[in-house]
Amino acid sequence: MKQYRAHLLVCAGTGCVSCGSFKIKEALEQEILKRNLQDEVQVVATGCNGFCERGPIVMVQPDGIFYQLLKVEDVPHLVEEHLLKGRPVKKLMYVPPAEKQPVPKMKDIEFFKHQRLIVLRNRGRIDPEKIEEYIAFDGYEAMAKALTGMTPQEIIDEILFSGLRGRGGAGFPTGKKWAACAKEKATPKYLICNGDEGDPGAFMDRSVLEADPHAVLEGMVIGAKAIGASKGFIYIRHEYPLALKRMEIAIAQAQENGLLGQDILGSGFDFDLEIVQGAGAFVSGEESALIASVEGRIAMPRQRPPYPAQKGLWGKPTVINNVETWATVPNIIRRGADWFQGLGTETSKGTKIFALVGKIANTGLVEVPMGITLREIVYGIGGGIPDKRDFKAVQIGGPSGGCLPAKLLDLPVDYESLTAAGAMMGSGGMIVMDDKTCMVDVAKYFLNFLQDESCGKCVSCREGTQRMYEIVKAITEGKGKESDLAMLEELAKITKDASMCGLGQTAGNPVLTTLRYFRHEYEAHILDKRCPAGVCKNLIRYVVLAEKCTGCQSCKKACPNDCIKGTLKDIHLIDQSKCIKCGACKEACKFEAIEEQREEAIQII
Amino acid sequence: MAGTKKLTIQDLAKIREKTKSLMTIRESEGRARITVHMGTCGIAAGARDIMDALLGEISKANIQDVIVTTSGCAGLCNAEPMMTIEIKNQPPVKYGYLTPAKLQKIFVQHILGGQMVADLVLAVGSETMY
Amino acid sequence: MITFRMNGLEVKAEEGWTLLDTAKFYGLEIPTLCFHEGLTPHGGCRLCVVEIGEGLRSKLVSSCTYPAEEGLVVRTDSARVWASRRMMIELMLAMAPGSKVLQDMASQFNVTQVRFALRNTECVLCGLCTRICAEQMDASAIGFQQRGLKRKISTPFDARSETCRLCGACMYICPACQLRCQGPNAETAICNGCLTMEPTCLEHYDDLQCWMYDAGRCGTCVQEKKS
Repeated sequence: MKQYRAHLLVCAGTGCVSCGSFKIKEALEQEILKRNLQDEVQVVATGCNGFCERGPIVMVQPDGIFYQLLKVEDVPHLVEEHLLKGRPVKKLMYVPPAEKQPVPKMKDIEFFKHQRLIVLRNRGRIDPEKIEEYIAFDGYEAMAKALTGMTPQEIIDEILFSGLRGRGGAGFPTGKKWAACAKEKATPKYLICNGDEGDPGAFMDRSVLEADPHAVLEGMVIGAKAIGASKGFIYIRHEYPLALKRMEIAIAQAQENGLLGQDILGSGFDFDLEIVQGAGAFVSGEESALIASVEGRIAMPRQRPPYPAQKGLWGKPTVINNVETWATVPNIIRRGADWFQGLGTETSKGTKIFALVGKIANTGLVEVPMGITLREIVYGIGGGIPDKRDFKAVQIGGPSGGCLPAKLLDLPVDYESLTAAGAMMGSGGMIVMDDKTCMVDVAKYFLNFLQDESCGKCVSCREGTQRMYEIVKAITEGKGKESDLAMLEELAKITKDASMCGLGQTAGNPVLTTLRYFRHEYEAHILDKRCPAGVCKNLIRYVVLAEKCTGCQSCKKACPNDCIKGTLKDIHLIDQSKCIKCGACKEACKFEAIEEQREEAIQII
Repeated sequence: MAGTKKLTIQDLAKIREKTKSLMTIRESEGRARITVHMGTCGIAAGARDIMDALLGEISKANIQDVIVTTSGCAGLCNAEPMMTIEIKNQPPVKYGYLTPAKLQKIFVQHILGGQMVADLVLAVGSETMY
Repeated sequence: MITFRMNGLEVKAEEGWTLLDTAKFYGLEIPTLCFHEGLTPHGGCRLCVVEIGEGLRSKLVSSCTYPAEEGLVVRTDSARVWASRRMMIELMLAMAPGSKVLQDMASQFNVTQVRFALRNTECVLCGLCTRICAEQMDASAIGFQQRGLKRKISTPFDARSETCRLCGACMYICPACQLRCQGPNAETAICNGCLTMEPTCLEHYDDLQCWMYDAGRCGTCVQEKKS
């Protein structure tokens, strides 16, 4: 490696790649060559920087300047001004919403300022396809320590005392899981990394795999030593081609350098890893279904006990953990359980990565200490709701989670407080919703997802999700009945109670939380036949305004479904029972005599 | 350099030391920050040669914890080529009327030795960039 | 021996017994549908759920698949269990209203209404047919397809089965379709028993010209039964 005076860190996570960041990288390299700066300036492709809203992103170090929303046309100007003349380009910098002045340095931008990067510590600063860069920032140091200076029990104790809980959603104490598996005598033992990440809107695991795959490898070798495993599998969903590619490269490089395989670092410890691809089912993220999938069988969960720690892959003791959990392990071993204990709350230690998406100004990936309030995430880091709209709810935990309203914005983010509020930490998906979101529609969306993805074994889950969906769909179409709300609650509770696996056991949550905090919206749909947020199409009414109608018949001619009655010069009338809400009549009317009513109660003419 | 051989713990440490030093600039940390002013006036006066000389000296001395950056015109165009040296926790020092020979002297005495070259200094203090 | 409590009684189970095995041994009745003694337990119908554990940690599990555990506290007829059982019956009746087994269970557990739109699929996806076909008849001619909303039982690729021996075990064991399989049409009929032969060769010849033992099974002269 040569000494360069400037490094251009180009974000090459999937989000920015899809916005053209590889082209930006090429353009930068070409321009630098043209200006003969290639011995002074290095261009590096890193993993996801996190501020996905603003991609493509380039960070210039050592200046710490953050450039965003770049286009290929900006590149020559950028290189000339900043790299040759030393004048950072203001118009390519980040300007916070509602402000005029740009914030040049990444460390001063609100989005980044409040984050605490532990699992994501290497994001945006290393090339994930170069093992040397991972090593440069203390990579594999924890593994060396664990393999040569710690006994398996010491490793387990360290993880146990750190308070680390599984980051896949359930929050089970990781040390306990490892201890249970270590006790088992049967061999061989296996490790699995769950990279199936099926929650809609969640991309935490994808980013970790794309930005810092070696962190996961290192964590797994440490875990292998702790429980006595000889082989591990990294299960990555098929829909993550970049993550698969980067992990393949990482494993190959680690193997080449003797950091995986036989006699790692000369310690006498053997462990190797293999990648397994998912095949498109949400349920295969459930641990026993995932194990079945690795075995080549259909991904369907099975009854536990026996738990995977006792009888897992091919009936052998197996520890299966989430990507984020594995990536946290090296940090704990390197810096100590005490250090980790110092972050977070009493029951939830450490940090958590959230995928902050939806109606939020700063969409992206954030890592925050446990205990931070929702308000700080939404308004501090997230920059609030765009377009001057009001905050309505934040959905946490994917289809297993729930929607929390504005009055709960000061809730601290930790496992217990979120569960008590009816939601769930989940894997980290956080969808922000504004006042133009219909909560009944949100429940419908998640129920549709669940009824599709249920494996179908348990009557309670399969039929429960389908029937809940039927009822909620009918409500959004204005066909709801008063008895529906009680029926929904009963179905949701029993689906949760009687189902065998996590999918069914949390399938009632979208309905239960929206009913708990937004019951008035359901009631408006059912009793008033209106959608307060103006979303449910069937509850939109097209109405002829008597005082403006000239009887010109334009709307009648435009209607594709023949629902407008009226003779020439007479006030026309739209037959609501036949109207398909296409809006053609409103477009055709030259007198603005047709009103589209969304939020107001219907007016009978 | 990590290649196709099995690494030992000592190898890991060596790679870390070597690679890390080349990547400290990604951390925006360093012992000192040197800015070569390369506005139009600077470039016309020969700032490119100063930059090349500086990078050469750094390479020769094999130090990795200084940050080299450029900036635009500092305002005192007739004093170009100019250079500002900011040692961490010390006020910035501006040098002017530079030649490669003077640069070498400043490099050894100020950057390596930590002592200002008084007769070449233009100004001390004023705006901090570091 | 594994010792635990069931409905307040101390019970002892052998190694490898499930909660259902133990209940049966002690004469405690737990309703089942997808369970059959000769087949591996499935745990799908959720009728056999029992409540285990105490206080906030209690939960429902299917007794046919949950292994006996030392020190466990089991209640086979708690309020939560009954609420779930009734709902399962209701949900299954909505799929197969004509099933006598389900109707009998409904009257036993006082399920007097079905509050869902009837689907009339005449199948509750309990999997008994697939398991008897695979485990007892060694044929594996039918199986589950898809998941969630699209789940159904059929032959591979919905094609006419060559491994089905028309033994009728699937019909025998099915709790939903008590009648002989109606086989709506030739392409989707499971066992093809509803198909009828109309050999056109007999119009021209004295003997059936087909040289396969299973006359007509090749499909050329087979047509759908006209009901």
